[in-house]
Amino acid sequence: MGRCEKLLIDNLKLALKNINERKTRSFLTLLGICIGIMAIISLMGIGEGMQQAITGELSSLSDTIVLSTGDISANAFGGGGFEHGDGDEYLTDRDISDIERINGIKDVSPILFTAGVITFNGDSNSVSLVGIDAENMEKIFGIGVLGLESGEFISEGKQNTCVIGYNIAYEYFDADIKLGNRIDINGKNFAVVGIYNKQGSGMSTETDDNIHITQRDFEKITGLSDSSSAIIRIYDVTQADEIAEDIEMAINENHGDEDFANAITMTSLIESIQQILSIAQVVLLSIASIALVVASIGIMNTMLTSVMERTREIGIMKAIGATNKDVLFIFIMEGILISIIGGIAGIILGIFGSNALSTVLTSSFGGALNPVISTSTIVLAILVAILVGMLSSLYPARKAAKMSPIEAVRYE
Amino acid sequence: MMEDIIVTKDLSKTYVLGKITVPALKATSITIKRGDYISIVGPSGSGKSTFMNLLGCLDTPSSGHLYIEGTDVSILNENQLARIRREKIGFIFQKYNLIPTLNAKDNVALSMSFVGVNLKTRIKRAEELLELVDLSKRMDHKPSELSGGEQQRVAIARALSNKPTIILADEPTGNVDTKSGDKIMSILEDINAQGETIIVVTHDPIIAKRANRNLHIQDGEVRETAY
Repeated sequence: MGRCEKLLIDNLKLALKNINERKTRSFLTLLGICIGIMAIISLMGIGEGMQQAITGELSSLSDTIVLSTGDISANAFGGGGFEHGDGDEYLTDRDISDIERINGIKDVSPILFTAGVITFNGDSNSVSLVGIDAENMEKIFGIGVLGLESGEFISEGKQNTCVIGYNIAYEYFDADIKLGNRIDINGKNFAVVGIYNKQGSGMSTETDDNIHITQRDFEKITGLSDSSSAIIRIYDVTQADEIAEDIEMAINENHGDEDFANAITMTSLIESIQQILSIAQVVLLSIASIALVVASIGIMNTMLTSVMERTREIGIMKAIGATNKDVLFIFIMEGILISIIGGIAGIILGIFGSNALSTVLTSSFGGALNPVISTSTIVLAILVAILVGMLSSLYPARKAAKMSPIEAVRYE
Repeated sequence: MMEDIIVTKDLSKTYVLGKITVPALKATSITIKRGDYISIVGPSGSGKSTFMNLLGCLDTPSSGHLYIEGTDVSILNENQLARIRREKIGFIFQKYNLIPTLNAKDNVALSMSFVGVNLKTRIKRAEELLELVDLSKRMDHKPSELSGGEQQRVAIARALSNKPTIILADEPTGNVDTKSGDKIMSILEDINAQGETIIVVTHDPIIAKRANRNLHIQDGEVRETAY
């Protein structure tokens, strides 16, 4: 073992003794770093959890392209679907058959939207009505993020059955709507076969206030067959982007408008969501970093006080042979050690914190969110703690190292 | 014939306080041989501490040269001086100057850590030295749990830890009772008997008389005297 390694171990022991000697002050100092790291771990855990939940679920739909016309594009998935400006922005039968003719297309399912009225136990309420193929209904809305709270999706060929949103089941009427109950939609009797999970406003979809029925039932009760969106499935996911372009070109050509339709692949959707989440995460982490800056000032203050208090000790160490570098390392080591202890405590509390935060978020906004704290996040947190400890103790340590041994020994 | 261990040639120190220059040590040329037991006496403010600090490489001279075992230390930088301090010089201060957070054993072992001695050897040597100063039962006590005399004996053990060639003691009995003072001086004399060079600064003529050479400082001038 060389002189450096030995000094490292010695400095570590000396630092531990000094921290132990000034317990309250050390505790308060490391509390700052603990809070900072806790905030970072919690936010990174939640952010990573959100990314994984959303991208993981959407990845299962990588063979799907969502086609929307006009302003409706942003809401194509969720069925808010009534924002498009005028009645001319619907897909025509020709559009659908043109899409079907493009190479690599497996099937095309138009989605229909309108407002409807439901009646249960004599009370009536307005709802959003969505008509979609039974097969696609399960494929699109059956994924974990959305998912059913109870029941099942509409079976192929089954008529007069519906899947209802959480709010419709539990908040629209005095009595809860249960599976098997019968409701009237625009005067026609339907059986409730499934109820969606509560999505809340935080999620990308708004199924809480929607009723999903088959396209055939939709046309039967509303008389509407024009759709402004469609779900298109393809054979080869690697061709998704090219096919999406072909679809846009074909539809835009049909309507003589370059911006008539938007074909969004799941990959691009995932990328967009990831980008938004990343930006949000950076913003949140920047806010959390303020706590670290404050903690760093705390460490610097503690170390400066410590240097002043231990001036005589520094003089003694220099008198008995410590070099400037030895003294510098002793104080930097102390700063780093305080930071690492605080950092480890912060990581542990951050793990609990992210779980607590996800519980609060899911109970407030619905959905399922599991925080993900990876090894790299933990390693990063420790590295940040070491860096903060090192940088904030550098100035006090330099001050200590530069002390004149005679003056320091004489210091009272 | 004993070799020269410390040689000063016109060694001087002048402090500049604003526009005033204070000559704390006037050009001093002396030779100290290995195994010498030297006392330095003089009134307060005469320049004793300045001379000690220069000999101990804690301070640098304004002019002249200081040779320790043939090395001109007056031209060395801070790190080189630190190396001389830890390898060739052992300090004993009037106020003991032990590290308050460390126990007796760790205080003695600390200076060895700066030289790179491994932990096992350090602890073994610290224990041996504390036994030498009759503190084998007080090794795990912190300075606050030791009497003045005991603390000074720990400081002696620490001064000896890196097997220095010179022991510099600044008023080593100044803060202890007569009995403890006598014990401390006996230990230093035993060390000297084994060939170690001892330089003691003192106000006490009885202690000064125990040395085999006496230096008297007055107004920054060093003279060798006989008791």
